[in-house]
Amino acid sequence: MALLEINDLHVRYGEIVALRGVSFSVAEGQVVTLLGANGAGKSTTLRAISGLAKPASGDILFDGKSIAGLGPEAIVRMGISHVPEGRRVFPGLTVKENIMLGGSNRRAAKSELSREADAMFDLFPDIRKFTNSLGWTLSGGQLQMVAVARGLMAKPRLLLLDEPSLGLAPVIVQAVFRIISEIRQHTTVLLVEQNARMGLSVADQGYVLETGRIVLGGKPDELWGNEAIAAAYLGGHAKPLAANL
Amino acid sequence: MDLALQLLFTGIGIGAVYALVALGFVLIFRATNVVNFAQGEFSMVAAYLMVVFAVDLALPYWLSFLLSLAGMALLGAVFNLGVYYPLRHRTFLPVIIATIGASILMANSVLAIYGPQPQVLEGWFETPGIQLGPVYLDSQYLLIIAATATLVAFQYWFFEHTLVGKKLQATSQDKEMASLLGISVSTMIMVTFIYSAVLGGLAGILVAPILFVSIQMGSTIALKAFAATIIGGFGDVTGAIIGGLSLGIIETFGAAYVSVPYKDAFAFLVLVLFLVFRPQGIFGERVAEKA
Repeated sequence: MALLEINDLHVRYGEIVALRGVSFSVAEGQVVTLLGANGAGKSTTLRAISGLAKPASGDILFDGKSIAGLGPEAIVRMGISHVPEGRRVFPGLTVKENIMLGGSNRRAAKSELSREADAMFDLFPDIRKFTNSLGWTLSGGQLQMVAVARGLMAKPRLLLLDEPSLGLAPVIVQAVFRIISEIRQHTTVLLVEQNARMGLSVADQGYVLETGRIVLGGKPDELWGNEAIAAAYLGGHAKPLAANL
Repeated sequence: MDLALQLLFTGIGIGAVYALVALGFVLIFRATNVVNFAQGEFSMVAAYLMVVFAVDLALPYWLSFLLSLAGMALLGAVFNLGVYYPLRHRTFLPVIIATIGASILMANSVLAIYGPQPQVLEGWFETPGIQLGPVYLDSQYLLIIAATATLVAFQYWFFEHTLVGKKLQATSQDKEMASLLGISVSTMIMVTFIYSAVLGGLAGILVAPILFVSIQMGSTIALKAFAATIIGGFGDVTGAIIGGLSLGIIETFGAAYVSVPYKDAFAFLVLVLFLVFRPQGIFGERVAEKA
């Protein structure tokens, strides 16, 4: 059984239909990447899973139990941690405080969270020297590290990562993806990316979203082999679809 | 010089009351992005609760004090559930109007029970005060300053050194992100309303023996406290304290050296000057993100 199973998911924002029947699944231990252009519905899919967006219809099963319509606080307690687009690091809290609060879904004492946050710096050595810096003083790459570290503090069974490479310099993007490939040793990851090359490089399975629907899915090799997709999302050279970028 | 010291003491005392109410404004604003226009009424209701317990029921002063603060905690919870919670997903405007409505309701409920005559509440201490060199320290003013200092210290410890304090800060900075981490946003907002009601109530109880206990005392204090938050830099906790203290000192000096009838005008003159020349307030330049 898949860890996460999404069946015919529809999400609306008022009049606007963001998802029109999305179905896919994530098996335990896998990294699954959702690809697609701006506005295709990638972020909405993650928001529906973590409870920030309410599904209009369809179902979301986590570990066999329906979580569709539950609030974000309940869902993160079940073991789904969402690192949203834009990092959303609390600007007025220090790096360590941000990371500690990542464990708010569990009953843990402050001293325990403090120890765990310290241990988290082993995985993210680049931000160790900013332990006591306020969130707003950090650069984009550092913020992304803090956001991922904070997401991991929830000890999730499933980690949702929304565009971790967005706005980062190539060398930082590589550092972020090195971390993702370490995370995958012990956590299932659902990754949303516009950077298809990086996104698929760590994936076991990829799906392509277009205007609220999944138009293609498969192993990374198969996706690379699909000419239209390669052209549209992977930096190929076919003309018509490239306009979608 | 002696007079100046005396005025400074009095000014800090009255400024501390403004600071307490201003803190209530700021904490609720940061948690909900809404100005609570009933914040002054919290002070008024608490002063009347003191009249109920200490005067009408003749309970011991300390017991009346504790009961009144407990009553304010309850009022804060009811206020959150009745005024903020049902409108929490709306824009700020319906919520602000609801707080104005609640403030009218509170003032008129008290008016219906006690009538328009001001009530008198004795101070906590029988000793009126002590002479310290050239300065006469009124015991009620001493109590106000001591209570405010204690509370500010407590609040600092609470926000900076406890996990709940950090969760409150996180909630005020980004509610959606806080909920993604499993922080119960509605609980944090409840805590904020209860604490702010107790803060406002404490200010009312402390200032009641200096002023009369009247229906209008809430709006008078709230206007000054609101001015204090703007002078300090809206949304900034340190700014609220500094703003409140400076306003108290300015109006006391203004009344003594310039004109007594224009006492209230000095506070608002300073407010106008700030709005014209430095609308972001004293601490407004920094990103206001520290609770």
